[in-house]
Amino acid sequence: MTRTAEPDPRIRDPIDLERVEEDRLRAVAGLAPAPRTGTEYAGFDLVGIPDRPPETEREREMFTLEEGEMLVNMGPQHPSTHGVMRLVAKVRGEVIVDIDPVLGYLHRGIEKLCENATYTTVLTYVDPMDYLSTMHNEHAPAIAFEKLFGVKAPRRAEYIRALVVELNRVFSHGLMIGFLALDMGGITPILYSFINRDEIVDLLSAISGQRMLFNFFRVGGVNWDVNDEFLSRLGTWHSRALKTVTDNERLITENEIFKARTKGMGALSGQQAIDHGVTGPNLRASGVPFDVRKAHPYSIYPELEFEVITQQSGDVYARYLQRIAEIKQSMHLIDQIMDRMPHGAVQTQVPGIIRPKPGRAYAAIESPRGLYSVYAISDGGPNPYRFRMRDPSFISLQVMPLLMPGHLLADTMAVMASIDPVMGGVDK
Amino acid sequence: MDWALIQGIGRFVLATTLLLLLTIPTAFIVIQIELKVIAGMQLRYGPNRVGPWGLFQSTIHGFKVLAKEDTIPDQADRVSFTIAPWMVFMAAAMSLLVVPFAPGAIAADFSIGVVYFFAVLGLSVVGLLVAGWASYNKYSLLGGLRSAAQMVSYEIPLTLSVVGVVILTGSLSFSAIIAHQLAHGWNLFWQLPLGFPIFYIASLAEINRTPFDMIEADSELVAGPFTEYSGMRFGFFFFAEYVALFIMSSIMVALFFGGWLAPWPFPGQLSGFAGTLYGIFWFFLKTYLFVFIAVWLRTTLPRVRVDQLMGTAWKVLLPLSLINLFLTAIAVVVFNL
Repeated sequence: MTRTAEPDPRIRDPIDLERVEEDRLRAVAGLAPAPRTGTEYAGFDLVGIPDRPPETEREREMFTLEEGEMLVNMGPQHPSTHGVMRLVAKVRGEVIVDIDPVLGYLHRGIEKLCENATYTTVLTYVDPMDYLSTMHNEHAPAIAFEKLFGVKAPRRAEYIRALVVELNRVFSHGLMIGFLALDMGGITPILYSFINRDEIVDLLSAISGQRMLFNFFRVGGVNWDVNDEFLSRLGTWHSRALKTVTDNERLITENEIFKARTKGMGALSGQQAIDHGVTGPNLRASGVPFDVRKAHPYSIYPELEFEVITQQSGDVYARYLQRIAEIKQSMHLIDQIMDRMPHGAVQTQVPGIIRPKPGRAYAAIESPRGLYSVYAISDGGPNPYRFRMRDPSFISLQVMPLLMPGHLLADTMAVMASIDPVMGGVDK
Repeated sequence: MDWALIQGIGRFVLATTLLLLLTIPTAFIVIQIELKVIAGMQLRYGPNRVGPWGLFQSTIHGFKVLAKEDTIPDQADRVSFTIAPWMVFMAAAMSLLVVPFAPGAIAADFSIGVVYFFAVLGLSVVGLLVAGWASYNKYSLLGGLRSAAQMVSYEIPLTLSVVGVVILTGSLSFSAIIAHQLAHGWNLFWQLPLGFPIFYIASLAEINRTPFDMIEADSELVAGPFTEYSGMRFGFFFFAEYVALFIMSSIMVALFFGGWLAPWPFPGQLSGFAGTLYGIFWFFLKTYLFVFIAVWLRTTLPRVRVDQLMGTAWKVLLPLSLINLFLTAIAVVVFNL
């Protein structure tokens, strides 16, 4: 198994394969003691940090250890990292000196997949990106492609879109609350959140046919109409949905331990949040009243009545309160949408294979994690020439190195849960 | 040889064998309670496949642990890695020796039973520290050091709050403490404002239960000192933890809630074999009530942070337990207890 081909100088191979193989053969033949560890040769130290000269200033800063410091590798197989995420933490005792998120374990090349798909099938590929807000993932490309192609969805379709998107937001924020508590050792709220999610998912699967990757949006409308039975089920759900949220609130909001652990923890000032491009509930929790639904209105949001909710302190507790407030706001929006739902078609006529004129279109929506936007360029062909997605959780994750130093290892997961990244969206 | 000595040795061997045999079923029962109660509180079914109402789920878990592969990490210190689970388990099992189950059903009714109990239970921290150090894993090491810091700190308010009971009853023997409660009512009434709450909080920390389960905080340290353990070695840690919960609840019952005594004065205690059965009934009822409360807390509360934990021990509980000691001593003199 010795390597014969000339190694590519661009690819750094930390393992000297020939030496490993030679030593293995010698050990098999009894000429040498068996190597004690695999790590001796691998060119990695024990946490998997590459044992090579640092390439950037940031790498040098991160991986240079001073006396009394060590690197702790959290993830990608850690029980509480959200998805397959890896955090390399430089700690002194249990106090974090520096932290570095390592991304890319869930990269599926969705943008490239979309560039090779027709405009109608793109909407199925974007589903598994941010897998907790699937409806939002479809919303932005649908708007962008409608702009490219010059069609408009019927009003009833727009209302149904807003309805499913707000339903999605309710369970997404609910899960964030549950995971935040779970990462602090409270094991019950997550189950209440999942009960809430299950009821919503049952509703959404009743109109879309799927439980997680709904695949509900179409260019120029939505796939199915809602019927009266669905609306009555929605009304039943609406009347008792606040109860699970209230149950969770009673478990968490005034809990002394929870407050002691979250107040003042991981505080992000409004200016810092703007500098880093953080959007969504995390930004609003820092006191910046920016909501895409108000700032750049799309769909039917200009017709609905709601205020932009903000918190002041920008810490983990504020981010938690922000989610609770937004759940209630979304419930209120769902109320209005149900009241005003017009009659009519839910799909305009579009050809099976859409060939928009050459041009470009941008669409931004407010996803549960922030500003989620899509930029699509058409060259006149059946598939987008370029398809670019801005995922909010990728950007909010970048504030981790800013928030964590000085806090304890125990708070890493709490702060990360409060930022609420979804790795499917981060890695695309 | 002296007949009495042979009898004593025989009694001791019988008692220790029975206690060792008691540990594993106790762990099974406590785990089963935890599975079912947590499931109920989280609106789930919980285990319902193995046996009626899933009663044998934890037993099956125990056999599963036996059947699993036992691995030792490459760079672990093999000797200490191997003995660490035994140290933790034996600390829990040995402290069962003084647990007062019923009149006549104490394995060894030492005159210094209280001291023995806290001395032996405190040994488990050595096992946890050794496990954390020997595993050659950073999470294990952090968990082991946390366990050392936490358990040593909480031992002080824990024992100081017990000293209040000792002053009140004038004895270190568990049977004498319970006998005193038969005559004067439960110690709880005298220790309610300070002594009992301190003892309860510190005991949760001592046995690593939520909200003080720093040591194996799964969202931070994977499984703390147990991270690298598998198979029956992990099983010993696991059982020790649940046996410790049972033991701590039983000691709490003995110290503050009248042990085997019925909650009303007549008949607080029967004599003879009937008295033993009567005592065992009340003892287990009260003990499992506290097991239930510990499980309840686990479903309700998040975990406190490690620095808040230490701060609570040194800045709050320690001064309060000293005040409790002082007030109890005054009360004993003033009320001539």
